[in-house]
Amino acid sequence: SAAAPRPWRLFGAMCLLRLPRISQPLEKEEEEMVALMEQIELEKSLYSDHEMRKLEEEEQLKRKMESSYDEDEAHGKTVIMAQDLEEKWEQKFLRFKAAPRITDADKSNNRTSLNRKLDSNLMLLVKQKIGNQELWLLPQVEWQPGETLRSTAERAMATFLGDHIQAKVLGNAPYGIYKYKFPRAIRTENNVGAKVFFFKAFLQSSDLSQAELKADCLWVTKKELGDYLKSEYLKKVNRFLLD
Amino acid sequence: DALLGCHRSYRSRPTHGIGKFKYLLPKEVPKKRKEKVQMKEISAGTEYQYGDINIQMTSYDLCLVEHFAQYVHRLCNRLSIQVTESYAMPTKTNEVLYLEERGSKMQLDAVLTTHQRVVQIRGLSSTFAPILLEVIQSSQPEGVHLLMKQHTEADFKSRLKSRPELEELLAEMS
Repeated sequence: SAAAPRPWRLFGAMCLLRLPRISQPLEKEEEEMVALMEQIELEKSLYSDHEMRKLEEEEQLKRKMESSYDEDEAHGKTVIMAQDLEEKWEQKFLRFKAAPRITDADKSNNRTSLNRKLDSNLMLLVKQKIGNQELWLLPQVEWQPGETLRSTAERAMATFLGDHIQAKVLGNAPYGIYKYKFPRAIRTENNVGAKVFFFKAFLQSSDLSQAELKADCLWVTKKELGDYLKSEYLKKVNRFLLD
Repeated sequence: DALLGCHRSYRSRPTHGIGKFKYLLPKEVPKKRKEKVQMKEISAGTEYQYGDINIQMTSYDLCLVEHFAQYVHRLCNRLSIQVTESYAMPTKTNEVLYLEERGSKMQLDAVLTTHQRVVQIRGLSSTFAPILLEVIQSSQPEGVHLLMKQHTEADFKSRLKSRPELEELLAEMS
């Protein structure tokens, strides 16, 4: 016998995270700690082969300056001195240029690109029409009977970003739930309200050129979520976000 | 001199063996050296638990990897996850040879050491596993590769050294 139809409609929503590429800048105490630890480790450590060689060669040079003893030893020596090696390495290091931490997208505050804010998590927000309002939400799709909630969330991701998304869904259990009741005008016996279950996924590849963008989407950090989401929704979403 | 004089009873004297006591203690069975590995359980159902999971951290920088391994171990202690083992794999040394082909061929060497630390965990519930993974991933330092996988016999065997003479003899016998 069929179960009595429940009054709540179920939705599965996907929170797609782009992991940070660079580490976050250290705070003042952390920087002091790092300097202290480095000093401790330097003082505790022993000399490496290269440093021993350098010290020996310095001593030999000094002895050569004072008197001409070490003619015989100098013949067995290699051509390259440790000091020259060090200078060569220094020059190589100076020639190396690291990529900039603040990219162009940061400067222009272009929220649709993934290259922004390389040191924090970015989340996908999509504009969706609910009832007669256009709202910014995490991509969600209604649950069809007979499929798991996780596949609902994956379907939600696929509808907004296309099929070829390399994302790794974390686990079968939802991370959060948001339930709301419909306004009295639309409420019927069978349709009291809706429950949205949130799932999390990590974006593996940062290449979205193959993705077909069906609606406007934004990539935002946790702090900027407040600009777009409603307060109740935001409260529930913030509960499961790490930053 | 009174301290140096030792009154050891000679073998013919009746007081020979007066201080012995080991025959009074219960006999200990000598332990076998090799440990059997198969300690794995997966209980399916609502409380789905993983068996042994290895968290492997590799890097070129020794201090960083050690500190990160310590951090992960302490984190698991705080979250009351049972840590069965926490060991280090032998370090691998790579020599980087540089062939410069402008004028005279020079070979500049660099010696890189790769260090690996493994923390083994048991009894991770599947609702908690993704949260743990996310926490560890977000606190990963630069230059450290993280790998979480299930423990297999091959992983256990990789820690042991192979004995070529024993293998030769075994091959000759069979």
